[in-house]
Amino acid sequence: MLRVARLIAAKDLRIELRSRVVTNQVLPFAAIVMVMFAFAFNTDSVVQKVAPGLVWLATLFSLLTLVQRSFAVETADGATDALRGAGVDPAGIFLGKAIALAAQLAVLELVLLFTAVVLYSAEFRLSGLVLLVTTFVAATCGLALVGTLYGGLAAGVRGRETLLPLLLLPVVAPVLIGATRATEAALGTGGAVVADGWSWVGLLTVFVALFGVGGTLAFGPLIEE
Amino acid sequence: MPVTDNAVTDNRTPGDLSGSDITGAFKSGTGTRFTRLLGIATIASMALLIVFGLFVSPADVIQGESVRILYIHVGTVWVAYLAFSVTALASAAFLWKRTTSLIWDRIAGASAEVGVLFMALTLFAGALWGRLAWGKFWVWDARVTTTAFLFITYIGYLAVRGLGGSHHQRGRRSAVVALLAVLEIPLVHFSVKLWRGLHQDSSVTDTTKVKLHDQMLFSLFIAVIAFTLLYSWLVIHRQRVMAMQDALDDKGLDYALQQRRDEGDG
Amino acid sequence: MKDIGFILAAYIATFASSALLAVYVLRRGRALAAQLPPQDKPWT
Repeated sequence: MLRVARLIAAKDLRIELRSRVVTNQVLPFAAIVMVMFAFAFNTDSVVQKVAPGLVWLATLFSLLTLVQRSFAVETADGATDALRGAGVDPAGIFLGKAIALAAQLAVLELVLLFTAVVLYSAEFRLSGLVLLVTTFVAATCGLALVGTLYGGLAAGVRGRETLLPLLLLPVVAPVLIGATRATEAALGTGGAVVADGWSWVGLLTVFVALFGVGGTLAFGPLIEE
Repeated sequence: MPVTDNAVTDNRTPGDLSGSDITGAFKSGTGTRFTRLLGIATIASMALLIVFGLFVSPADVIQGESVRILYIHVGTVWVAYLAFSVTALASAAFLWKRTTSLIWDRIAGASAEVGVLFMALTLFAGALWGRLAWGKFWVWDARVTTTAFLFITYIGYLAVRGLGGSHHQRGRRSAVVALLAVLEIPLVHFSVKLWRGLHQDSSVTDTTKVKLHDQMLFSLFIAVIAFTLLYSWLVIHRQRVMAMQDALDDKGLDYALQQRRDEGDG
Repeated sequence: MKDIGFILAAYIATFASSALLAVYVLRRGRALAAQLPPQDKPWT
């Protein structure tokens, strides 16, 4: 299963490196979303205060496009059918695609965080660094797992573009809440202290564990014909 | 082909019963004697609910007349939660190999449809009551927010049911989504609770404390009974409609094949 | 009665939409039942 996961992840990342869709389309999209937020909220003090939330909102929107992309690659020439036909372990496919998605998300989040620091003058402090890194790792894993799970469900059906956001956004709401609050604590937004952030990391960890196990079990029945 | 009475009956394909003299016997639809009794009981208890809820029960000391909305609100929210629980259980039954049968899938789907309708009514009546009791339509209370998430999640579930594919594919897909919802909802509830906890807002439970008059309690009791009866009636009928729709989808194919065969013979 | 508009809105919305769903299900059931033989309707 792990070998399958590694192969799938490597394959997905190689495709992305060659096609450059993520760097040429998804990253600019995320950047323009961040600029649009600044237009919508107008004053500097407001965007600075809500910067962590905006980073995660922009991540969620980009997640939707990344997931679509991740499965468009599979269904375009019946690659999933071929994998299924070859008797590849669906749990391996699930983990592999989730790992590849997590890697892309991580790059995206770093860029978004950097944008927030530059555009919204979000403050950054060293004392919160450990919390910040842990939060980003946990949230990224959570988003990649549920994104892959529901992406697999919506892959190859008519109307998937509209179905995916409807299914995915309610599920990732705990990640949005948890990651935003933990990031606020790590950055000290609005006078939040670092110690407040850890209970939110706990929530994110529970999320990752539940959907990691649930997703591994559910992915097979979901993509079966 | 010589057209005799016998030949007409023999050549009739399962989907085509028009012009047949026995059609009348098939027209009974989804009702049986039991469901008719259930329907009568539902209407009677609803009438009783209107009489008690709107006229007999007194106004509340603190909330005034607005307490009457709660009879509707509590009835519908109870049914919605009941419906989603039934959906989850039926989905598990469908996925479990020893009990797998499309009937569980249909019960899950019918129950979720009714649940979504009652969840919408719950949110509507709740917002009206909230406006009277708290002065605002919406509060970011964990329970209220979770209810809204349930509503959206099951709309998504119904969308998954409508994706197409074979009946078994629909059943497997939607059952997995229903079970994932069971995973999702407690997480949402917990995270909203944690989020609101940090804000220290005025708690909803303080204002909902109602000194329950006997007649109020009785009205609530009637409401729960009436809406449960309505739920059962709706699910039984809807589930039968789904069974017929599925059968027609299958038979429709037979019908087309039969036609092809006839063409081939001719 | 105070707040009668709010109260009636809640009652009417609930009963009207329940009745609408019930009527829709019954009509759909009749329409489908006319196209199927008894063996597809085990409850009859």
